[in-house]
Amino acid sequence: MRHLADVTGILLEPAGGVIDDRLRDRLRDRLASGIAPVVERLPAGEPVAVSLPLLRRARARPDAPLLPEEAFVWKPAFARRSLGLAVVDACIDGRFPTPMEAIGPVSDAAVAEWERTGWRTFHWEPWFARLAPGARASVLAEALGWATAVWSAVEWNRLPRRPRVGGPADQWKCPAGRVVILKARSELRVLLWGDPPGSPGAGTVVRPPEALVSVSSGCPGGTWSEELAYLALVAGLRSSTGPVPARVVGLWPDAGIHAAVDMDDAVLTAAAKRVIATVDAVVNARQSMVGSC
Amino acid sequence: MPPLVVTKDRLTRVLACEAHQVVAEFGARPPTIAMACGAIVDVLFRQLVTVGSIGEPMVDGLAALSVDDHQRALVSWIERLPGPERDQLHAEVDRQAGGLCRRWPSLDPSWLPRTQEAFRVPVAGGTVELSARVDLAIGAPATDEASVAIVEVKSGVRRAEHRADLHFYALLESLRSPAPPFVVATYYTRTGELDVDPVSEELLVGATRRTLAGTRLLWRLSHGSDPLPTPNSLCAACAARPDCTVGRSRSDAQAGGGLPGAATP
Repeated sequence: MRHLADVTGILLEPAGGVIDDRLRDRLRDRLASGIAPVVERLPAGEPVAVSLPLLRRARARPDAPLLPEEAFVWKPAFARRSLGLAVVDACIDGRFPTPMEAIGPVSDAAVAEWERTGWRTFHWEPWFARLAPGARASVLAEALGWATAVWSAVEWNRLPRRPRVGGPADQWKCPAGRVVILKARSELRVLLWGDPPGSPGAGTVVRPPEALVSVSSGCPGGTWSEELAYLALVAGLRSSTGPVPARVVGLWPDAGIHAAVDMDDAVLTAAAKRVIATVDAVVNARQSMVGSC
Repeated sequence: MPPLVVTKDRLTRVLACEAHQVVAEFGARPPTIAMACGAIVDVLFRQLVTVGSIGEPMVDGLAALSVDDHQRALVSWIERLPGPERDQLHAEVDRQAGGLCRRWPSLDPSWLPRTQEAFRVPVAGGTVELSARVDLAIGAPATDEASVAIVEVKSGVRRAEHRADLHFYALLESLRSPAPPFVVATYYTRTGELDVDPVSEELLVGATRRTLAGTRLLWRLSHGSDPLPTPNSLCAACAARPDCTVGRSRSDAQAGGGLPGAATP
C-alpha cells in the first residue's frame, strides 16, 4: 500500500494478464454451485443482495452481518458521494477549476433540473431543495470534502483518456434457486494501456482493458484485496462480452492510503469464495433471527 | 478484533489519569451551554468556509445540527432550554458568529479547503488506529514539500491541551501523507486569536512520544488492567470523584487553596 500521491502512476501502468471468457464462466459456475445449497435454507422468495459494505460487515461480524432495519431518512452522508462525483465530473470537464467553485452551481443545477422536469437524477433533489440554508451548507460541505479528496488524488491531465465518473452500479443475478443479486459500484473507470483481451475477429469491436477506482472511508482492512476484486468480479459477471476489469485501485483518503490489485484467476476466485461466505453468514443470521422470534 | 482507537480526547484523559479515562468513556456527557455553543460555532464555521456566508446564526446552526444524527440529543436539549438560558446561548452564538464573519478571510478555492476532514492512521499492524477529525485543512498533500495547513476552531477559552491536540493532528497528517503539514493552528472564535505552531521535527518527535505514552496506557486498560488514579487538574469535575480518594484529596486541596489551578469543567 502506498500514499495517495502515486495513484496516477498506478493508473498509467499497462494492464497485466488477460482474463479470458473461460475464467468468467468458471467463476459463474463456482458462485452458482456454492450459493445454491446455502440459500436453499431460506424461504422461497426471500432475496439476498450482496454489496461491498455487506462483504465487509460479514467479515468483521460474521455472527451479525445484517444492520437493524431503520426507516430511511436522508442525511448529508447519503448525498455526499453522488454530489461529490458530479463535482469531480464537472472539474474534469473543465467547467470549474476546483471543487469549491463547482459545488454550489452543480447542486443548484441538479435542483433546477428536477424542478423543470420532475426527474431526480440523484434522488436527493427534493430533500435538498427543502432544506434550510444551514442544513444545506452541511450537505455541501460533506460533498465538497469528499470531492476534494478524490479530485486531489489523481493528476487528471496525465491520463490519456477521460475516465468515466460514477455511473450505474454493476449487478449480476446469480442463478441459485433464490434471488441472489451481487451489486457493486466504483467511483471511476479508467482505460489502461495494454492489449485488449482476446483477439479481434472480423467485425468485432474489442475494448481496451480498464481499471476501476473505488473510494472508501476509514482504513483498509486485512482483506482489502478480495474486496477490491469483488468489484471487478461483479463488473465482469454482469456482461458476457465486456472485459473483466484488469485492475482495481482502492483509495482510502482518510488514511492517505491507496492499494491496487491486478485481476487474475487466484484473486477473482478468492473474491468468489468471499461472496459465498458472505451469503452463508447472511442466511445464518436470518435463520437465527427467525429462530429467536 | 477491532483496533484500539486513539483520539486526542482519549490521549489527554488517559495521560491525566487512567481512572478518569475509564469513567469518561461510558455515558454521554450532559449537555451544557458551552458545549451547545461550541457545536453551533463549529457548523457555522463550516458553513462560512463552504458557502462564504452565515445568515441568522442560531437558525443556521440548529438547521445544520438537525441533519447530523450525532447531534440529535443536543438539538433536542437546546430546543427545551428555558428562555433565559436560550437567550444566553443565542447571544453568545450571535457574538461569535459576528466575529467569525468579520475576521475570518474567504479562502482561495485553489487552496482546496475542506472542513471536518477525517484522519485515520492504522499503526502496529492495524491493531491501533490513530483517529482525528480536523475543523479545516487547506492545501493539497504533495510529495516533496509540506503544503497542508490544519486549523482547529475553539469557541471556549484557551487551554493547555489545545496545543497538544494540534501536535497530534500534525503527527497524523505526517503519517498519512508524504509530507508533514507546514503549520497547525487553533482559532479562538471568542477573541479572534490564532495560535500558530510551525511544524518542526522537534514538534513531531514530541507528539510521537506523547502519543506512544498514551497509547500504551490505553492498550493496558483495553486489556483489563486496573486503572491507576493520578491526581490532576480534572479531579474536581471527574465523575469518579465520589469513589476516588486520590481525586477527592486533590480537589479538596484545590478548593482549600492548597493547589494552584482549579479544574476547568
